[in-house]
Amino acid sequence: MYERRLDRSRAHTTFSMPLDNQTTPLLGRTKLSVVEPVFQMNGIVKHFPGVHALKGVDLEVFKGEVHVLFGENGAGKSTLINIIAGTFPPDEGKIVFDGEAQSSMTAHRARELGVSAVFQEFSLAPDLTIEENLLLGREATRFGLLRKAKMREQVRAMLAELDFDLSPNTRVGVLTRAEQQMTEIAKALLGKVKLLILDEPTSSLTERETEKLFAIIAQLKHHGVGIIYVSHRLGEIKRIGDRLTVLRDGAKIGTVAVAKVDEEQLVEMMTGRAAEVLFPRIEHRPQEEVLRVRDLSTASGAVRGVDLYLRAGEVVGLAGLVGCGKSELARALFGLEVLEGGRISLFGRDLQTPPTPASMLASGVCYFPSDRVAEGLALVRPLRENVSMAALKLSNFSWHGLLRLAAERIISQEKIQQLQVRPADAERPVELLSGGNRQKVMLSRGIIRDVKVFLFDEPTVGIDVGAKVEIYRILAKLQQQGAAILVASSELPELLHLSSRVYVMNRGKISAELQGDDIREDVILSNFFDREGTTFPRRANAH
Amino acid sequence: MNALLHTLDSISRNGMRHSVAQLGINYGFLPVILVLTYLAFGVLEPRFLTANNALNILKQSSYLIIFAAAQLFPLLTRGYDLSVGMVISMISVASAMIMMAVLHATNDVPLAIVAAACGGFGIGVLVGVINGACVAALGINPFIVTLGMQGVAFGLATTLSGGFPVYNLPDAYSKIFAYSNWLGLPASVATCLIILGIVHIILSRTVFGRSLYLIGASPRAVHVAGLPSHRYNALAYVACACLTSIGALLLTARTASGEPNAGGDFMLKSIAAAVIGGVSLRGGEGRVIHCVFGGLFITVLSIGMNFVRVDGYIQQIILGIVVIAAVYFDQFRRRTRL
Amino acid sequence: MVETHTHVRTPAVQWRQYRRYLVSYGLLPCLLVMLFLLLGFYDERFWRVTNLINVMRNASYLMIISAGQMIVLIVGGFDLSVGGVAALTSVTMALAMVQLRNLIPDALTTVVVLGVLVGLITGFAIGFLNGFVVAILRVNPFMVTIGSMSVAYGVALYATAGVPVYGMPEVFSRNFANLQLFGLPVIVYLTIVILFAVWVAMGSTKLGRYIYAVGSNLHAASLSGVPTTVCIIVAYVASSLLASVTGVLLTARVGSGEANLAQTLMLESIAAAIIGGVSLRGGVGHVGSVALGALLLALVTNGLDIMHINSLFQPIVIGVVLVAAAGLDRIAPTVR
Repeated sequence: MYERRLDRSRAHTTFSMPLDNQTTPLLGRTKLSVVEPVFQMNGIVKHFPGVHALKGVDLEVFKGEVHVLFGENGAGKSTLINIIAGTFPPDEGKIVFDGEAQSSMTAHRARELGVSAVFQEFSLAPDLTIEENLLLGREATRFGLLRKAKMREQVRAMLAELDFDLSPNTRVGVLTRAEQQMTEIAKALLGKVKLLILDEPTSSLTERETEKLFAIIAQLKHHGVGIIYVSHRLGEIKRIGDRLTVLRDGAKIGTVAVAKVDEEQLVEMMTGRAAEVLFPRIEHRPQEEVLRVRDLSTASGAVRGVDLYLRAGEVVGLAGLVGCGKSELARALFGLEVLEGGRISLFGRDLQTPPTPASMLASGVCYFPSDRVAEGLALVRPLRENVSMAALKLSNFSWHGLLRLAAERIISQEKIQQLQVRPADAERPVELLSGGNRQKVMLSRGIIRDVKVFLFDEPTVGIDVGAKVEIYRILAKLQQQGAAILVASSELPELLHLSSRVYVMNRGKISAELQGDDIREDVILSNFFDREGTTFPRRANAH
Repeated sequence: MNALLHTLDSISRNGMRHSVAQLGINYGFLPVILVLTYLAFGVLEPRFLTANNALNILKQSSYLIIFAAAQLFPLLTRGYDLSVGMVISMISVASAMIMMAVLHATNDVPLAIVAAACGGFGIGVLVGVINGACVAALGINPFIVTLGMQGVAFGLATTLSGGFPVYNLPDAYSKIFAYSNWLGLPASVATCLIILGIVHIILSRTVFGRSLYLIGASPRAVHVAGLPSHRYNALAYVACACLTSIGALLLTARTASGEPNAGGDFMLKSIAAAVIGGVSLRGGEGRVIHCVFGGLFITVLSIGMNFVRVDGYIQQIILGIVVIAAVYFDQFRRRTRL
Repeated sequence: MVETHTHVRTPAVQWRQYRRYLVSYGLLPCLLVMLFLLLGFYDERFWRVTNLINVMRNASYLMIISAGQMIVLIVGGFDLSVGGVAALTSVTMALAMVQLRNLIPDALTTVVVLGVLVGLITGFAIGFLNGFVVAILRVNPFMVTIGSMSVAYGVALYATAGVPVYGMPEVFSRNFANLQLFGLPVIVYLTIVILFAVWVAMGSTKLGRYIYAVGSNLHAASLSGVPTTVCIIVAYVASSLLASVTGVLLTARVGSGEANLAQTLMLESIAAAIIGGVSLRGGVGHVGSVALGALLLALVTNGLDIMHINSLFQPIVIGVVLVAAAGLDRIAPTVR
């Protein structure tokens, strides 16, 4: 299978980077027979306030190798790749590139050495065009003036080589997330590349675009480029990965050949415990229906004609590619998106007016955003104020607009203890808390007032394994107490183990509703995409 | 940024140093610098330290402190009000004209004073509502809104009376609101204290005040938490303009005339006082006491420079430099948390 | 990690893309033509050549200073000090000319050239300081430029004690100011040259492109190897220099060095830029639209004169136009 792809890509793609005048290392390099490392790092240590992000990690990438970095959110993967890309320096440790020890890695130095990175957070200027972004920092000039025609030609040639369907003079700000991802990848491939870092590149790509990316990766491998590939998706890891390094809680657990491990082993390496320890046992006892959505569409077009229901005492998953509309659906239910059509009924009654956060909170619905920094917490303010934020207008916290400070202090302290937020200092600014504890502060909103419906958007993004277990426990407990919980998540294991039902979304629509034994990784993934000609190579017993 | 959090983290494990650090965070070193500045001018010019002059400093600073407290509301929400200075001028002229008009019509001094006060305050509320509506409801950048309002207020202040001060206000007005003593304190100082008390209660003990801090820290989080963030954000500008108008009325009483130039440099000075005092330009942090220290500092500086005969224009230069330096040190302090 | 970009290209996004063209190539010119016709029909005197030349001359000053303001706005800052810079330039240049004239009374042209140079160096220095403090000390640009505004006016007032400085060579204050070429004031040609230079610099040089990139996404720009600090400093220097040029031209027109020169310039320059579609968030703006914005303000001002409305009303109108332009920009996307 893999060999066939390699041949095919070799047949119709040749990498002549049109933009570098010097001979590019991609060109004319013979396939290496000797395995030599392009990059090595030893004993990398990195501290962040309150977090020991990396605890002495080693990593080695060979030329022409796809080296998969595997681990949960918060395991230290992104810290590691940021250090490699020179975004920030390690506190301790040694970095060797192409046999040369690097005393200080800066973004500039990394680029000089041929390290290119595609991060999940894009480094594109939204007000510039694709062409301007691609060539930013490498413009061609004559007499101090830009050679626009020449550059346009270069970009066109480049995009044609990559077979990317992008028009160079479109502003990046109006591109879809997938198109921005393609632009970012194209940008990373400009100039000389010796080590390419891809951070979950397929999380927003469609099947066809993913195929293109894999063809490019095969081509790069052939030319001896080392690739660090961060991914959660076992299917694609199996398909393109050579070796795999597992990180957990900032430490390296081990490096193995992809071909020699099975999924159970990987999950156990990743989490440090068997799945049944990580995820609480949830007995789903669905009761009466609390929320029903009919034909819901948002004005932004992200959600188009969605039908969905939610019952008390069940956890319902919402799966799909980044940008498929699952986040927007959760937001729309809480009044954070402008609705264009559809009906929402809560506890059997149709909402007469479009929902607003205030009205939804009042009727017992609470939303927990994925971006807790921008939408959840007031970082510079103390825990106490963040805990009580969503309940300030209730009579136990205020009286005719005057705060009951003593009551606030007691109740918020109590909730902080109850959820085991650490440190349990109510007067500490939230910005000093770790991701897991920040999420617990958010969760306190669900127990400080009477909430029956919980809408989660990526509940465990940026949270370490230990805290994840706690968050899952809290979710399970809420469900046992009869709460209805909707979880929009890109972490498939989470959905697989927690949900009694899973809705899969694709392009703003529900593409499948899965129950019971149908909740398997391969089934969910197959519904991520449009059903087009090619099929994703699915493993028969993915789970 | 990370380094600073880290430092703070390590400091907080140490109880004693923690409290010192906390003091530094809450008040900065301004109180110390304030005392040193005061003493330094005293060394240069011993008359500076007399009780009389101290009272004078209090009187003069009370206006600035009121305006800084006004500015505090938008600053807490990550905004600012550039129209403060010109609105002061406009209200000064407008209230003086109202007073004269009512006086001519009825010859009733108390009525004229009440009408002027109500008129001036009403204009302030109107200005605040317009600013607030544009910022919160229409979502226009507060910089643009209040800059536009500054233009409007400047135009009105200079055209209403033809560009001339409005003289011959009834003596009673100045007597009551500038030269009388309330509870043993000069009227402006007493008013200032009352305002500070009210603002303190609003900010620390009401849902509105709490929301302002939260809006400044994260505007979207407040909306997600179900609080009426737009309304509160607009109200911040209304509160600012209301306090500005009270200060403007007091200022008019002190000069005994409606002055088109009354506002002058109060826009710069009010923001400067708040920021020098320790109110964060990034919103979410700042208290009334910061405005008091900042206002006192600027006043001590300017009266002190008068004492040692520094040219007024030079003072303006020094003020500009002090503002930039203060913002720089504020960021420096936040970066190192000390 | 909010998923703002979706697979579906939404009408709102599309509208935002077109709106910019609409405002810069459609709405503003239409508004200008309408205003032009309306003023003409209101009062015939508007059509008179002297009046039209007057409009162009006034628009010229504003265009130059607004082009500078635009550059700073594009890089993601503000420059509140432009008015102060113009005033300080006026004063230092006048004082320098008066002094030099005493020293070398025979070479008046040299006196003028050196005087103008002194003025421009003043502008350069303030711009560099602004840029340095914003880019390297990372102080909020709003506070920096408000502070340097205070300093600039303070120095100007102190140096002159608030009294206009007379005694510049007439070559400058009369001949240069009234110089005409093909029936148009030479200032108009100068403005065209400056606008063209800004257009080329922003659109067709590396530096211009970098300035857009820095304003659009500072982080992305620095990751791509853009020298962000240099870009920011250059933007502030450009803004101050252009403000300084405006100061020189206005001084020639007034005939004396004035510390109170054109106090509304700061407000007007920002208004012209905002009307011209420059974004306060940085990364967006075209010098052509800004010039049209400045022309609109000049027409409005002229209209007020024609209607015999007190010139002190100008800031009121400009303030309202400014907020309205910004408001239109905000409201438009939801109208669809």
